[in-house]
Amino acid sequence: MRTSNRSTLTVAALAAVVALVSGCGETGQGPQQSAKEGGKIICLMPKLVGIPYFEASKTGAEEAAKELKVELTYNGPTEGKAALQVEMIEQLIQRQCGAISVAANDPDALAPAMKKAKEAGIATGAWDADVKKDARDVFVNQATFEAVGKQLVDIMSKQTGEKGDFLVVTGSLTAPNQRAWLEEMKAHMADKYPDMKVAAVEPGEENLQKGIDVTRDYLKANPDTAGVFGITSVALPGAAEAVEQAGLDGKVKVTGLTTPNEMKDYIKKGTVEEFVLWNPVDLGYLAVHVAKAQLDKKLPKSGKFKAGRLGEVEVVKPDEVLLGPPIVFNKDNIGEYDF
Amino acid sequence: MSGVGALRSVGLRTAPTTRGLRRWLLRPEAPAAVFLVVLLAAFSLAADRFLSPDNLESILVQVAVLGIIALAVNQVILAGEIDISVGSMLGLCAVAVGTVATATGGLLAPLAAGVATGVLAGAVNGLLVTLGRIPSIIVTLGMLYALRGVILLVTGGTWITQIPDETRVLGLAKLAGVSLPVFVMFALFLIVNAVSRNSTWGRDVFAVGGNRRAARLAGLAIDRPRLLAFALVGAFVGIAATIYVGRAGSVQTNAGEGLELQVIAAVVIGGTSIAGGRGSALAPVIGAVLIGVILNGMILVGVPGVWQSAVLGALILLAVTTDALRRRLVGGAA
Amino acid sequence: MSANQLRPLDVLKGVRFTRELVLLCLLIVLVVVLGQMSPVFFTVGNLLNTSRFFVEVGLIALGMTLIIITGGIDLSVGAAMALVAVTVGLAHQSGVPMALALVLGLAVGLAAGLFNGLMITRLDLHPLVVTLGTFALFRGIALGVSGGGAVSSFPQWFEYFGQFYLGPVPGQLFVFIAAVTAVWLLLSRTPFGRYVYAIGNNEEAARFSGVPVRRVKVVLYTGIGVLVSMAAVIYTSRVSTSRADFGAGLELDVISAVVLGGASIYGGSGTIAGTVLGVVIIATLRNGLSLAGVETTWQVFLLGVLLIAAVFVNEFFRRREE
Repeated sequence: MRTSNRSTLTVAALAAVVALVSGCGETGQGPQQSAKEGGKIICLMPKLVGIPYFEASKTGAEEAAKELKVELTYNGPTEGKAALQVEMIEQLIQRQCGAISVAANDPDALAPAMKKAKEAGIATGAWDADVKKDARDVFVNQATFEAVGKQLVDIMSKQTGEKGDFLVVTGSLTAPNQRAWLEEMKAHMADKYPDMKVAAVEPGEENLQKGIDVTRDYLKANPDTAGVFGITSVALPGAAEAVEQAGLDGKVKVTGLTTPNEMKDYIKKGTVEEFVLWNPVDLGYLAVHVAKAQLDKKLPKSGKFKAGRLGEVEVVKPDEVLLGPPIVFNKDNIGEYDF
Repeated sequence: MSGVGALRSVGLRTAPTTRGLRRWLLRPEAPAAVFLVVLLAAFSLAADRFLSPDNLESILVQVAVLGIIALAVNQVILAGEIDISVGSMLGLCAVAVGTVATATGGLLAPLAAGVATGVLAGAVNGLLVTLGRIPSIIVTLGMLYALRGVILLVTGGTWITQIPDETRVLGLAKLAGVSLPVFVMFALFLIVNAVSRNSTWGRDVFAVGGNRRAARLAGLAIDRPRLLAFALVGAFVGIAATIYVGRAGSVQTNAGEGLELQVIAAVVIGGTSIAGGRGSALAPVIGAVLIGVILNGMILVGVPGVWQSAVLGALILLAVTTDALRRRLVGGAA
Repeated sequence: MSANQLRPLDVLKGVRFTRELVLLCLLIVLVVVLGQMSPVFFTVGNLLNTSRFFVEVGLIALGMTLIIITGGIDLSVGAAMALVAVTVGLAHQSGVPMALALVLGLAVGLAAGLFNGLMITRLDLHPLVVTLGTFALFRGIALGVSGGGAVSSFPQWFEYFGQFYLGPVPGQLFVFIAAVTAVWLLLSRTPFGRYVYAIGNNEEAARFSGVPVRRVKVVLYTGIGVLVSMAAVIYTSRVSTSRADFGAGLELDVISAVVLGGASIYGGSGTIAGTVLGVVIIATLRNGLSLAGVETTWQVFLLGVLLIAAVFVNEFFRRREE
């Protein structure tokens, strides 16, 4: 190839990349302009983007933003890493959000960045997964760890006659919320169902295939297992699939936490009878309402808080708003949900 | 077809003389094979269900996806290149398979979609490496990021669920009690092994990987063998994706994340040299099976979840140490 | 037509198009474009703030550059970082005075690197293979020993360590600049640095010329262990917590920066300046795009495209020189 042609090609390629990069930026101009026009932006950050749960909360958040006529930025890292969230929070501070609310991958790691936001005069909050108390003004909780853990164990106890050895498949062994649910589950078993025991905890690493393999291998080694808890949105479908593939559906009970769309098949076939979650659409919706109330300085410290179509929501502590009790999905109600 | 049968068919003798034994031990995959046998013995003593045919079949099924992709990446590494985009490629192909499956059902159409997507991505890799003259580590690193982004953009974060049963056949069906993925893996192994040893392309791959400059000076094509190798990776990833979708039953947005490291591990632990030019088609299969044995064995033995990664790492180090051991015993290249 | 095409490039003919110059131009182009996309990007405050995030990757990338120049690689750096962080956290939690806990962390990082170095040199194993094993082993030990839990009650002065500023400049930046200077001097002005390049160009020839190949390699892998410890301490202090999942994926970030900076994965070439530019470019891109409100999924895609484009441009200029 002649040098001159190649050089043109190269310069063109570089120009194309630059154009692509700046082209993508056009879509981002909106929030800045609104900020200059005097509207305050609400910046909501999920743990990560690209999974159904947080896409659902995005839907709810956008609904609330439209209703309240506020500008919303909903963005998070592509991996559930606290380090990436810290960077993004600092960037949000630079972008002059009026309120920042984050679903934390790590309650402590994000604290310094959130405190910086507070010092910059930004209304701080957390939703879905909390940060350290002194790093945010309010926490929008979907259901307490206690309620979730108890609900899971109660469901399993009904199906297994209140006894048995159980496998818990989790996401990662370090995730704070998963650890908290596990603690509550164990405590509830010790408290109310002494014949039920968590025999093993295996990490599924948020990998569907790994969740399936791990469950299958474990059940092979421990055929007397009464049931499997899949306590993340990847672990539960994995566990259900493994139980089905091993031909143990009906014999080994399965429950856990995940979004309903992934479970519709398993509920229909009966592999999973009931499972738990809350409504992430409503959670995102509530988080935006709370943030707006913070901006208007109208957030109550106790009693009830009116949040649009959710009606009256409880302010359980001066710094915590509760969405409500966890939802139990089963074949009677699963058709009503689409997320 | 059993594992031993496969080994026999590639010429490994089972009743060797001392000189024959030494020759066998000098084969690239020998240390891994020996270590595999040792591990099988150790785990079967530690856990009584380990050596049951059901469990062994289960191990092979679990590593089928890994093994199939490793077979193709092995060729790329033999040619002196590397491909770390296979994880993202698997995700993208799985999305293609799932999308077509939920639209039209059947098996052939989704499989074709997966393979086509894979070959396309592989060809992009190959062209950027050969024509663009960009080092493969950079091309495939860039593709690792770029394809992951494409997956998220195309799926919008939603899983693809309710894959029809006919599509899942390649992942779930059994023939004579053995799952299809195992057959597919061994069939592909036989094909790649035969092609690698007997075809011009196969020999060119070794030549290019062994000493590219010498190959070029000797008049051999150096671009086409590599381009084909990258395209082959794409095709195999497409097949593996169909198996994956069949076994998993749905396509998550992070499907395949981290797979590239496992694939490289399978290839190099199995005995193919990362520098290129030395290895065999058997190496990635043994490497994949070794990884599967370790993962399965740990759970059967009851290693607590928090210690599994440490045990895996230790066993990998032991596995590669056997290579050094071999060198002490019988000599042979590093 | 061709005369017109050649003329703008004639102007540049006198300039030597080194890889570093190309990267510098790329960085300038990026800064200009990103500055257009977001008004807050091109402020001193933001630029200095961005530097806080790339220090950890940057420190480790310095060590990785030398290793890659010799034709090796170290995939275990992220896992080693977790091991150091967990050591510091658990030591502190069990009552060890903080300063001593930090020393312990440093020792662990050094030991991890030394372990890699010895396995590679004594057993004559390829670095990729060894560090693949230690990648799993180190993180596994961190996970097992910590049980997955976190330590977050560090003394005030330690938290201050990772979050302090000297005027408007973040403290870590000074550490980074010092490290860059030290490693650059080592690589370009000492016999040791020449040994590193010699090994990368032709290990056999180097050995026959009297280069202490084994010792150099052990020093390199141990050295990166020390850098990993430093990065781990800075990070732990910055987030005031210590957990076994730190540094996940770090090795990929580091290697991306080093190869973007021009080091050949086959060994023999690479510079500290290039690596630093690589680190800064990636961090700047991520920061700028975030500020401009570009969705993270697009950011991932663009990073991949950029990596390939940057090297493509570099290869072009390199061939022009030949």
